[in-house]
Amino acid sequence: MNTIVFVNSLLFGGAGLVAIGILSSLMASRFGAPLLLVFLLIGMAAGEAGPGGILFDDYRMMFLIGSVALAIILFDGGLRTRLASVRGGAVPAVLLATVGVIITAGLTGLVAMPLLNLNWLEGLLTGAIVASTDAAAVFFLMRARGLQLKRRVNATIEVESATNDPVAVFLVVLLVTLIGAKGHAGLDAEIADIPLHLMRQCLIGGGLGVGGGLAITWLINRVTLPAGLHPLFVISLAVMIYGLAGILDGSGFIAVYLAGLVVGNRPVRGFASILSFHDAATWLCQIIMFLVLGLLVSPGKLMEHALPALAVAAFLMLIGRPVAVWLCLTPFRFSRPEKAFVSWVGLRGAVSIFLAAIPQLTQVPHAELYFNVAFFVVLVSLLVQGWSVAFVARHTGVALADPAPEISRVEIDLPGKVDLEMVGYPLLADSPVIQRGTLPTWARAVLIVRNDAVLTPEEAGVLSVGDYGYFLVPPDRIRRLDRLFAAFEGHRSRALSAVFTFSPDVKFADLAGAYGVEPDENLDSLTLGALFADTFEEGVREGDRLDIGNITLIARSVRDGVVTAIALIVGDTAEDAPLAQSHIVAPALARARTAVQRTANRIAAVLHRRGSGRAP
Amino acid sequence: MPHVLKTMALIDIISPNAVLPSLKVNGKKQALQEVASQAARLLKLDDREIFEALLQRERLGSTGIGDGIAIPHGKLAHVDRLFGLMARLERPIDFEALDGQPVDIIFLLLAPETAGADHLKALARIARLLREPGLVDSIRATRDASALYALITQSAVSHPA
Repeated sequence: MNTIVFVNSLLFGGAGLVAIGILSSLMASRFGAPLLLVFLLIGMAAGEAGPGGILFDDYRMMFLIGSVALAIILFDGGLRTRLASVRGGAVPAVLLATVGVIITAGLTGLVAMPLLNLNWLEGLLTGAIVASTDAAAVFFLMRARGLQLKRRVNATIEVESATNDPVAVFLVVLLVTLIGAKGHAGLDAEIADIPLHLMRQCLIGGGLGVGGGLAITWLINRVTLPAGLHPLFVISLAVMIYGLAGILDGSGFIAVYLAGLVVGNRPVRGFASILSFHDAATWLCQIIMFLVLGLLVSPGKLMEHALPALAVAAFLMLIGRPVAVWLCLTPFRFSRPEKAFVSWVGLRGAVSIFLAAIPQLTQVPHAELYFNVAFFVVLVSLLVQGWSVAFVARHTGVALADPAPEISRVEIDLPGKVDLEMVGYPLLADSPVIQRGTLPTWARAVLIVRNDAVLTPEEAGVLSVGDYGYFLVPPDRIRRLDRLFAAFEGHRSRALSAVFTFSPDVKFADLAGAYGVEPDENLDSLTLGALFADTFEEGVREGDRLDIGNITLIARSVRDGVVTAIALIVGDTAEDAPLAQSHIVAPALARARTAVQRTANRIAAVLHRRGSGRAP
Repeated sequence: MPHVLKTMALIDIISPNAVLPSLKVNGKKQALQEVASQAARLLKLDDREIFEALLQRERLGSTGIGDGIAIPHGKLAHVDRLFGLMARLERPIDFEALDGQPVDIIFLLLAPETAGADHLKALARIARLLREPGLVDSIRATRDASALYALITQSAVSHPA
């Protein structure tokens, strides 16, 4: 009987903590406080020294929870990484994730030695524990503040944070082993084995990851499961890959990240539902990691090492990481503000906490010390860096001043169809699709919602502003369709006030220089002709327009899908744009939204009936 | 008050002595040289620097916007405000404009290196002014500097709405 009561109160308490955490996130986001900090504090409040008074010191449990959570978080990171979007950021990011982590760990370790009175192996272990970056928090903050980063900086941070964990884990396990083996005859042999061991970890992890990813893709596309089980199936397979890699002495982190990358970049059935499920799962993992950390910490012992730990945190943020970033990114011609920003977003999080539990498990000396130092570093990093990240992004010019407009795209899964996806968009004034009046050949209209009526494309005829359209598109072209449905902000003026003409051979950099457009490494080397060809891949048409910074370019004349003259349009929009326009569009949009919801339900119902093979 | 175009009329960027009612030139290059040296005199700057900036911009594509109108422009490190100058040419010249029409009205705009959006706004204002129905005909028919100045600064579009 006692056990049942215990289990029930455990469930009540545990779930209650999560719920309180989620609720308090509402308040936290109002102050811009990093959410994970809130979870940490709630965990501490519930812990032994807080009003909760829960005694929890089970590091084995922590390690188990941490492994599963990290596997899921990393798999999710892979799922969301578009291979196409990391181009230009992959090489610097991987350098940062490998050499960078080692430099950060080494420098921080050297400082930790005298501060914490440790020998060199123990110092390095401290450095390794806090050396890896947790960008999940960064990206959440970015999104919450509506910040968009320059493409290359964004790609670098994204790839770095996803790939640096295996290196840090490897370093920590290695150092713990070395410390444990100290004094034994095997030490020299262990050191000699390091390169071989590392290679083995990477190869097995990499092989299992790619193979596992392909296997997951194959399985989901082959096996028909009841709706709702797909995402769960995927997550269990991902954790399996992680475990198997560990058993075979490979890096589970590399494996699970690569598996996610493979799944995320191949056509997969029900991808939208998998992603939204993972969104929730990743959040839960982060929340639990931080709650458990809060529970584990005993503030009494924490204060013993407070000052040296704070010094380690300060050194890491102000010197250790910046030095590593500068050394790794300088060969790639990142600007100084960009490097400063990448240095500053080296947030520490779940991974460091997880790594700090490893010494506890293996009973090396000073195990508690590592954990307390990691706690301080994570706390300070969340507080200082987490809170200021948006501010720093704006002040280093890494944030895009004029971010691409958010696209309100609705995705609908088509069971049984892997090469096409259904997406819905509101038709906005000034979007390229309205300007052109036609769809690209690879997008097929399915139905149009207009004034609360559902029309077939034939009935609807030409798409008009205020419609809501549903289209079948190959999944890899959805991004491109997004661009066609995005409204061009700030260029509502129909009167083309000033028109200067350029040949397609003019370099974008020269034009940008003449008109004070922010330079952009991705565009500067392109000619205007290439810029149009890149954006409108199915062939440029007369009147196609591109909005870059504060200028608008229009394809003025086109021959065989290739632009031959480009016009620069300057309109003093501030005075020209009739304010009433946004009022006209808004109610129409709201109407369309409700109609969309209804239609989506109807479609889902129809598809469901078809999917189960029984006509009504 | 350099960067406050929101409340700016053309009257703020062009002064009465920056109107050349009957400039005599034989070609595009000479035209640019002439307006550059006039601007240099008024701004007390090196005319070569201005001419180079204009030429650099012309290399990207002609600033002839059609219908006999050209709006040469450029950004300069040593200019501290937006500066406009208008010239009415005695004889139309070839300006490599897209429509092939010879140009006889030149509106020069110089902007500080940091002008950014204001530079574009001023260009737009000028272009809209010159598209106003009838205005260009009046400009072509006027040979008096102060009358020209009045035409361009008192037009409805030269003031903010």
